[in-house]
Amino acid sequence: MARTVGIDLGTTNSLVAYVDPQTGEPKCIPGPSGSTLCPSVVSLDPDGSIIVGEPAQRRLLTQPERTVYSVKRLMGRGVADIQDELKLFPFRIDLSSKNVIRVRLGDRFFTPPEISAFILRELRNWAEAYFGESVDRAVITVPAYFNDAQRQATKDAGKLAGLEVLRLVNEPTAAALAYGLHEKQRGHVAVFDLGGGTFDISVLKLISTIEGDIYQVLSTNGDTHLGGDDIDNLLLAFVHERILQQHGIDISPQSELAQELRKELISIKHQLSEKESATLRFPLPNGAVFVHEFERPAFEAMIRPIVDRTMGPVRQALADAKLKPSEIDEVVLVGGATRTPLIRRTVQEYFDRKPHTELNPDEVVALGAAVQANILERGVSNMLLLDVTPLSLGIETYGGAVAKVIPRNSTIPASAQELYTTGVDNQTGIDIHVLQGERELARDCRSLARFTLKTPPAPAGLPRIEVKFLIDANGILQVGAKDTRTGEQRTIEVQPSYGISDTEIERMLEESIEYAEQDFAERQAIEARTEAEAILAATQKALATQQAADLSPEERAAIDAAVGALKESVSGSDYKLIRNRIDDLNQATMHLAELIMNSAVSTALQGRKLAEV
Amino acid sequence: MSAPSIASAKGDHFSLFGLPRKLWVEMSALEKKFLELSWKLHPDKFVNASAAEQELSLKGSSQLNDAYRVLRDPVARVEYLLGIEGMRKEGEHKQQAPPELLEEVFELNESLDELREAKASRADLGSLKSRLEAAEKNFQQKLDEVDAQLQEAARQWDAAIDANASGADRKAIMVRLNEMLNRRSYIRNLVANVQKELL
Repeated sequence: MARTVGIDLGTTNSLVAYVDPQTGEPKCIPGPSGSTLCPSVVSLDPDGSIIVGEPAQRRLLTQPERTVYSVKRLMGRGVADIQDELKLFPFRIDLSSKNVIRVRLGDRFFTPPEISAFILRELRNWAEAYFGESVDRAVITVPAYFNDAQRQATKDAGKLAGLEVLRLVNEPTAAALAYGLHEKQRGHVAVFDLGGGTFDISVLKLISTIEGDIYQVLSTNGDTHLGGDDIDNLLLAFVHERILQQHGIDISPQSELAQELRKELISIKHQLSEKESATLRFPLPNGAVFVHEFERPAFEAMIRPIVDRTMGPVRQALADAKLKPSEIDEVVLVGGATRTPLIRRTVQEYFDRKPHTELNPDEVVALGAAVQANILERGVSNMLLLDVTPLSLGIETYGGAVAKVIPRNSTIPASAQELYTTGVDNQTGIDIHVLQGERELARDCRSLARFTLKTPPAPAGLPRIEVKFLIDANGILQVGAKDTRTGEQRTIEVQPSYGISDTEIERMLEESIEYAEQDFAERQAIEARTEAEAILAATQKALATQQAADLSPEERAAIDAAVGALKESVSGSDYKLIRNRIDDLNQATMHLAELIMNSAVSTALQGRKLAEV
Repeated sequence: MSAPSIASAKGDHFSLFGLPRKLWVEMSALEKKFLELSWKLHPDKFVNASAAEQELSLKGSSQLNDAYRVLRDPVARVEYLLGIEGMRKEGEHKQQAPPELLEEVFELNESLDELREAKASRADLGSLKSRLEAAEKNFQQKLDEVDAQLQEAARQWDAAIDANASGADRKAIMVRLNEMLNRRSYIRNLVANVQKELL
C-alpha cells in the first residue's frame, strides 16, 4: 500500500516526515545530502529540468535569474498585494498577471503553486526513495493565519505534485501535537511560531477524555508576512547603506552580489544567536573589503521592532481565548527564528515561564504533520484535533460595510446560512461578495470571491435563496445555495478573487512534467480504481452494521446493484464510467450513511460509547 | 434525493445537545457533550469513508460547532432561541436609539464629533477625553444593567417552561427579551465606538 506522509512546506526550508510503525514515533526523512531540511528554492536549468533544494540554493549565487526562494510569500496573492515584497525580494514577476502571479525563471513563467509543487514533488521523491514504496497522500502544514486563498493555493500545489492532500494542518497546531506526544502535556498551551516568513500564535487546550486526547485550539492570530526573512532584510538594508556611503557602490537587490551578501548576513545572524559578536568581511567588486563587527546589543536594538510586532497578535490571541498570560501552563517555541535570544527572552518575560525548546524548532512542525497524517490514515485513533478559522468570514452589505457571518476563532468545520431575496421585480440575479478579515469595511478586508445568485423572474421580495457558507476542516470556504421555495439545490460557480481556477488547475495537471510521462487517461483510471476500491470497502463495512437492517429491501437491492455495476466497471479502463458508478453508489448508500451517523450521534447523546451498543 | 441533514432530522441546536429550550445551560456538561459528539462527527474520523459519509460528517460537525458556538455564549443563546421561536426576524432588529437614552446619546455623539475635530486640528484633547471616558463608564454601567435584566428575564423564561406556562405568557417574556437584546446591542455599539475613538 502507498504511504502517507506529513510535509512542512516552509518559506525557507521544507521537510517531510512519517510515523515509524514500529516505534510509533514521528521521524523526519533525510534527502540525498543526509540533511532533513530541503531549502525551499527552485531553479530552472537551461536544459529545461527543474532543480530543487540545496543544488538550487547554490544556483541562487550563480544563476539568480533562473532561481527563486521564499515563494511561499506569494502563495494566494495578487500582483497588487506584493508591491512591498518586490522591493525586498528579487522576484521576477510577470506584471501583466492579474489574479495569479507568474514568476519568471529563465524564459518560462510559473505560478507560486506550481513552484511549491516542485518542492513537494522533491520531498515526495525523498520519501519514496527512503521507503522504496510510492507515496500518494500527504498532510501539508500551513501558517495558522493563512487566509482562504493562501490555503487553496497550498492545496493546489499538493494536487499539482500528484499528492492527495488529506488535510491542511496549521503549523502551530502540528507543533503542539508533536510536543504533546513527546511531553504528555495538559492544560493551556501557547505555541509561538516564528518561521522564515510567517508568524503564528495559537492558544490550545489539551483535554483528556475517555475516547482519548483532544487538542482544542481556542484562538489563533499572527502575521503572514513577518519572519526571519525580515531580520535578513533589515541587516541587508543596513549594510547596503553603509557600503553605499563608504564605497559608493549601490548593490541592486536583483544582483548576484546581493544574494552573496544575503547569505553572509544570514550566517552573521546565526552566529549572533550563539556569540556576543560576529564580523562580516565582504569583498566588493572594486577590490575593497567591507568589514563590520556586529555586536549583539546593537543587533537586538535593530531587530526589536520586528520582535515587538509579534506581541500584538499574542495579546489578541490571549484575549480571544479569554485567558491571562499567567493562565498559560506551557509555552512552546517553534520556527528557526525563535533561536534568537531576544525572542526567547521576550516570550519568557511575557508569559513568566520558560518556553519549551526541547524539539528541534526546524523539525517540530513536520513531525506534528506526520502524527496527524498517521491519525487520518488509520481513521480511528485516540487523538483528535479541533482547529479554528483565523479570520472572520463576512459578506458585503449596502454601503460597502461587512456583515460577519462566521466569527474568527470559530471551531471548524463551521457554517452560516444567509437568506437572500430580490429588490426589484423580475431581477435576474443577486450579487454576493464574500470577504475575510476583521475590519468593518469591505475595502479593508480580503476579497475571497464574488458570485451571482440567479433568481427566477418574480415580483421583488418573493424569491428566497438560502446561501450556505461552510468553512471545511482545511479552513477552505465552500458555498452552496438552495431555493427555499422549490427546495432546488443550486451549484454556484465561485470565481476566486485570487487564485487559480479549477480549469486552469486541470490544464496545468495535464501539462505538468509528471503527467507528460504518463498517459492522462491511464493515470485517471488508476486514481478512479483506487477510489472505487476504497468506497467498495467502506460500503461492505457499512452493510455489516446493525443499521443496515433498517434499510428497505428496495434500498438494499439498489446498493447491491450499484456495487455490482462499480465492480464491473473497475476491470475496464474507462475512468469516466468508473467515476459515474462511484457517484451512483454514493447516492445509493446515502440513506445508510445517515442511519449510521444518526445512530452514532444518538448513542453519544445517551452517554454510551458506540462500541457498547 | 432524501438527505435530510442531521439538523433537520434532529431539530435545532438545543436538541442536538439533548437540551430543552431553556436559557440556563450548564457549561461543563455542554463542553463534555461537545467533545463527545466531536469524536463521532469530526471529518478526521471519515478520511477513509465514502463520499456520502464524508459529506454527512462535514454537515454534522459544522452544525455541532455552530451549535456549540451559539449555546456557549449567553447572549447569542437568547438571540438564537428567539429566532427559532419565530420572535426575531432577520433585519427586524434595526439600530434605533432606545427613547429613554436619546438625550445622553445625543450628547455623546456631540462629544465624539468634537473629539474627531480636535484630533484633526491637533488641539488639546485632555478635557474632551475625560468627558468621553466618563460617558463610556456611564454606558458601560448601563450595559451591565441590561445584562442583569436579561439574566432575570432568562430565569423567568426557564421558570415558564418548567411551569408549562401558556403561549401568551411565553410570548410576553420573549417580547421583553427581544427588547433587551436590541437595547443591549445598541449600547454595546456605542461603547465600542467610544473606545475606538479613545484609543
